[in-house]
Amino acid sequence: MDILFLLIPLSAVLILFIVGVFGWAVTSGQFDEIEDEAERILTREPPGA
Amino acid sequence: MSTGLQGPNGGAEPVYSDGVIRLFSLAAVLWGVVGMLVGVVIAAQLAWPELNLGIPWLSYGRLRPLHTNAVIFAFGGCVLFATSYHVVQRTCQTPLFLPKLAMFTFVGWQLVIVLAAVTLPLGITSGKEYAELEWPIDLLIAVIWVSYAIVFFGTVGTRKVKHIYVANWFFGAFILAVALLHIVNSAAVPVSLTKSYSAYAGVQDAMIQWWYGHNAVGFFLTAGFLGMMYYYIPRQAERPVYSYRLSIVHFWALIFTYMWAGPHHLHYTALPDWAQSIGMLFSLVLLAPSWGGMINGIMTLSGAWHKLRDDPILKFLIVSLSFYGMSTFEGPMMSIKTVNALSHYTDWTVGHVHSGALGWVGLISMGCLYHLIPRLYGKTAMHSVKAIELHFWVATIGIVLYIAAMWIAGVMQGLMWRATNPDGTLVYTFVESVKATFPYYVIRLLGGLLYLGGMLIMAWNVVMTVRAGRATAVPIPRVVAAHA
Amino acid sequence: MTFAASSTVPTVAAVAADLTAVDDPVERQRFTRWVPQPSGGRLAESSLQLSGLHCAACAGLIEQALRATPGVQRASVSAASQRALVLWDPELTQASRLITAVRGAGYDAAPDAAAPARALRRHEARQALWRLFVAGFCSMQIMMLATPAYVAGPGELAPDTRALLNWASWLLALPVMLFSAGPFFSGAWRGLRRRRIGMDVPVALGIGIAFVASSGATFDPQGPFGAEVWFDSLSMFVAFVLGARWLEMRQRHRAAEALEASLARLPETAWRVAEDGQAEAVAAHRLRPGDTVRVPHGEPFPADGRLLDGGTRVDEALLSGESTPRERHVGDTVLAGSVNLGAPVRVRVERVGADTRFEAIVAMMKSAADERPGAAALADRWAGPFLWAVLLLAALAGAAWSFIEPSRALSVAVAVLIVTCPCALSLAAPATLVAASQALLRRGIGLGRLAAIEGLARAGRVFFDKTGTLTLDTMQLATTRLTDAGRAAFGDGLAGETAALATAAALAAHSNHPLARALAAAAPAHAAAWSDVQEHAGQGLSARDAEGQRWQLGSPRWLAAEGSAEAHSRVALACEGTLLAGFEFEETLRPGAREAVQALHEAGMKITLLSGDEAGRAHALAARLGIAEVIAGATPESKLAAVAAAQARGERVMMVGDGVNDAPVLARADVSVALASGAGVARAQADAVLASGDLRDLARARAIAARALAIVRQNLVWASLYNALCIPLAVVGWLPPWAAGIGMAASSLLVVLNAARAAR
Repeated sequence: MDILFLLIPLSAVLILFIVGVFGWAVTSGQFDEIEDEAERILTREPPGA
Repeated sequence: MSTGLQGPNGGAEPVYSDGVIRLFSLAAVLWGVVGMLVGVVIAAQLAWPELNLGIPWLSYGRLRPLHTNAVIFAFGGCVLFATSYHVVQRTCQTPLFLPKLAMFTFVGWQLVIVLAAVTLPLGITSGKEYAELEWPIDLLIAVIWVSYAIVFFGTVGTRKVKHIYVANWFFGAFILAVALLHIVNSAAVPVSLTKSYSAYAGVQDAMIQWWYGHNAVGFFLTAGFLGMMYYYIPRQAERPVYSYRLSIVHFWALIFTYMWAGPHHLHYTALPDWAQSIGMLFSLVLLAPSWGGMINGIMTLSGAWHKLRDDPILKFLIVSLSFYGMSTFEGPMMSIKTVNALSHYTDWTVGHVHSGALGWVGLISMGCLYHLIPRLYGKTAMHSVKAIELHFWVATIGIVLYIAAMWIAGVMQGLMWRATNPDGTLVYTFVESVKATFPYYVIRLLGGLLYLGGMLIMAWNVVMTVRAGRATAVPIPRVVAAHA
Repeated sequence: MTFAASSTVPTVAAVAADLTAVDDPVERQRFTRWVPQPSGGRLAESSLQLSGLHCAACAGLIEQALRATPGVQRASVSAASQRALVLWDPELTQASRLITAVRGAGYDAAPDAAAPARALRRHEARQALWRLFVAGFCSMQIMMLATPAYVAGPGELAPDTRALLNWASWLLALPVMLFSAGPFFSGAWRGLRRRRIGMDVPVALGIGIAFVASSGATFDPQGPFGAEVWFDSLSMFVAFVLGARWLEMRQRHRAAEALEASLARLPETAWRVAEDGQAEAVAAHRLRPGDTVRVPHGEPFPADGRLLDGGTRVDEALLSGESTPRERHVGDTVLAGSVNLGAPVRVRVERVGADTRFEAIVAMMKSAADERPGAAALADRWAGPFLWAVLLLAALAGAAWSFIEPSRALSVAVAVLIVTCPCALSLAAPATLVAASQALLRRGIGLGRLAAIEGLARAGRVFFDKTGTLTLDTMQLATTRLTDAGRAAFGDGLAGETAALATAAALAAHSNHPLARALAAAAPAHAAAWSDVQEHAGQGLSARDAEGQRWQLGSPRWLAAEGSAEAHSRVALACEGTLLAGFEFEETLRPGAREAVQALHEAGMKITLLSGDEAGRAHALAARLGIAEVIAGATPESKLAAVAAAQARGERVMMVGDGVNDAPVLARADVSVALASGAGVARAQADAVLASGDLRDLARARAIAARALAIVRQNLVWASLYNALCIPLAVVGWLPPWAAGIGMAASSLLVVLNAARAAR
């Protein structure tokens, strides 16, 4: 299963990248007070769409 | 497209870049009709092989990949481009980053589709499922996809709203994953303009192919459309997502489970047994996050179920989720080795694919386009709401006929193929199973015809709506920077 | 009586006044920060706590109102947390105008001084979530990478593939060890430096050794550490324990937020009187000894001082426990924090800030908190012996194997250490306590710290404050007595009493005196035509009825001065100088008080009434409730001494109180409960807040806590049992990594499921 020598390192790097993205999201406040966010897309006053 | 209107102070008022969205939406409807038509043709050819007509570029083998590419990448792709460009602008309250690059993605994508429509019937193919297009087109796809990523992430980066709405996470993951999958899987050594050899060989290539294949389903056909679901269902139902917290958990759970499910396409092949086992195990684990998303979407209507009665667009959106739930239950079940021993290579697999494709991807796309298109032309509803209702019922009946026919055919084929006499010989010849499948192919064709019919109704409705509407520039609400 | 400012509807002038302190630079600093602008100037960013929001649209309305205020650049409202963040230009507007705008929209706002504390909590929450995510995500991936080794048959997995999988697992375990597990290592280190072995030490040791051994097996499968890797077990373990701690943290944060939201109020404004007699509004903290202040009716005194003119009544219940208002006359001392119940008066300020009696009590409270007897949590008490036992076992196993087969000695020792990894043990207590806190919350008790649950279950003696805790701050009518003249006027028996009461109540409706209010509450509304109503301070009401007769309602001494005889009752009713009826009052018991005392008695607790009020009233109330021991007339100092004495006798003490004078005791007691209606400083200090106001919930809470402790013990036993069963297997060398992983997951799951029972 030589292809694993490509797929596994690839996915390990991907994991570290994903963990980094999550870290950015959490520390920049993307997950603070999220109960309000669901409403927000409904309450902006869009004339059309 | 965002040249702006005159604001009250005389300065140019920023507007959303909606022109490219209009183009992609209309293209989606066109390619939907085309892709489903090709599907109907090949379904008819399976029932009546005479319909190959002896013409090479109308033969089943060449038309099948044209069908899959047209419905997934042409129809599905245009829907994703249109809706992602729409959602990212509205939720970030800013126009598209580099609108001209966005227009390039439109022109480029149509070019890809046209090239596919030409090369595939000509027999120019790499033979890899959902990745049949040869290397020059693959390069073009890579260029367009990078441009798409720049436009999308650039728009998110220049957002005026601090929080990134959950739908954008799904779109973002879809874009990045597809880029990775495409580049790795399409790695090839070209020998001429129309021919290349895969960089991988044998069972290694199979593993890569189905790592790509299943993640294409997971990210292109699922994550991207879940992004659509999380925006358009709340907007159409005028209610917030049932649990926003769950939607975020859903996203992260889906992301980390999908990567390893690929081997379930390779049960009982040359792939090592332990790799097959992992594929089975994690396909089962995948059931949980998938259903979490389904419940979250459906329960958004909690307390407002009556809206389903009167609003056919909501019917499309909510029913699509139940098909999603069904497919994401059926899939893990089929990845169990003992079940797969029956289902592999049979039409049950085709049934499963189409319950996901027609039921989930198709219906959610139609629902979202019905919501989006009138608003792109200054209206709040399509030309005929009754036609939407008609479309819904025609399509649903078509789906049910299709998948029921394929389930019966598939199980029957599996049982026939494995039936052995006491002395160990096979009871049935292969051709006997083909004969027995014939009536189900006809029923499936009927289902497909209905589904295509529904799509034609939609095309008519869209044309009437566009003719009666006007493409108006939508100003961006002057946010006194609510959150910067 | 609460410490809040007057809640009458503000007129435009009053709005400006009560918000004056908001603009005071020192006060403003508590909820505002400066944002320097590139153009050179600076903007202010203020955080406001909002009230009155009842729907999602409310947030939008408030945002609009704020943005419409000139000078406001940005305003965002969070409906979920009921807070507004406003960016404004100090050249164009003031903080008070922001609150005015919110009021104009129909809501209310107060400065949110808790912003720094909240920022700290937010940082803590984000870090914890990130750590948990890294641990969970990576452990999931590591599990995927570990599965091939578990499911492959012998010889199916090529050595280089196995090595690849191990390397990838090692790589993904690094963030888990270095980042997610950080708190365990730093906690263990801190504990060791203080010579205390808490749960962190065995945890850190277990995962540390597992990682080192697994790394050894990865880089050198032929080496002393053997070929087994444990990355999946250790990362899963870290994820589980972080998960439990995250739940604990959220609960703690929610309690803190709830407390802060209830404490948010306007900074105090005082009316300082200048030489020329003009009164100007200033922030209370600006007062200096020697200033003269005017204190309106219903407002708290801003400082300790002396009355300059007039006479009034003051409510010192929160400071001293006195249940009845005290009379104060010219030259008498008034205390900061007590409320002016009578006419507006002028006061010469004598002591401000930290010198006031109020602050003295707060200081006492702080030092009492430091002297509170320490009690290690139940789980931590197991940690030490557990650790030594494990180390001993591992050493013995290693020693034994060094005779049998030396090459395996180290890997067996490691296996013993890993399998005894205290996963379930670490989960046992936190999972149960968090579940129990949910159950308590449903019963109306908000916990400030989880460890209080143990205190609740273990307490043997409870001290109850009287005024405001066992009683409500209103009086109620006890008896009505008619004189002979009264019987003649109103009739005999019950009917006559009712008629007398009706008349008295109708007249009493014209006064705000607590006894008058009690009278008015005791009879149905009776529209009578009274004219010429006058209230005589300190004495009572007089008025003329429809026939022109003069009625009086008030203190018997006052009526006696007019020539009447009967003088036993608290309030008397007279017509044209003739005494007709007398009314007696008692303190209103808090609903459920009697049942609560009884329930606690039955639970085996000893109960003491600890009151600042005078002995007569204290004993009377104790008799009504069935409490045998009474300490009356207690100052905050003597309350503290009583509790300390009980603790010295070896008793575990629970304190239930509401006033400022209870705060030191609440700090000192082993477990403390404050009433939700109590003083802010009492609520902030207590371990738990009784939000329901129903004392019966105390007894129920004790039952829940006791049950929770029992479940914790069950969990600890089970967790230890699991370890005990696995150890022989590990010693013999029969424990494959997958078995350890599954065993860990299963025992943790069982512990968590068992813990969930505490939530019922």
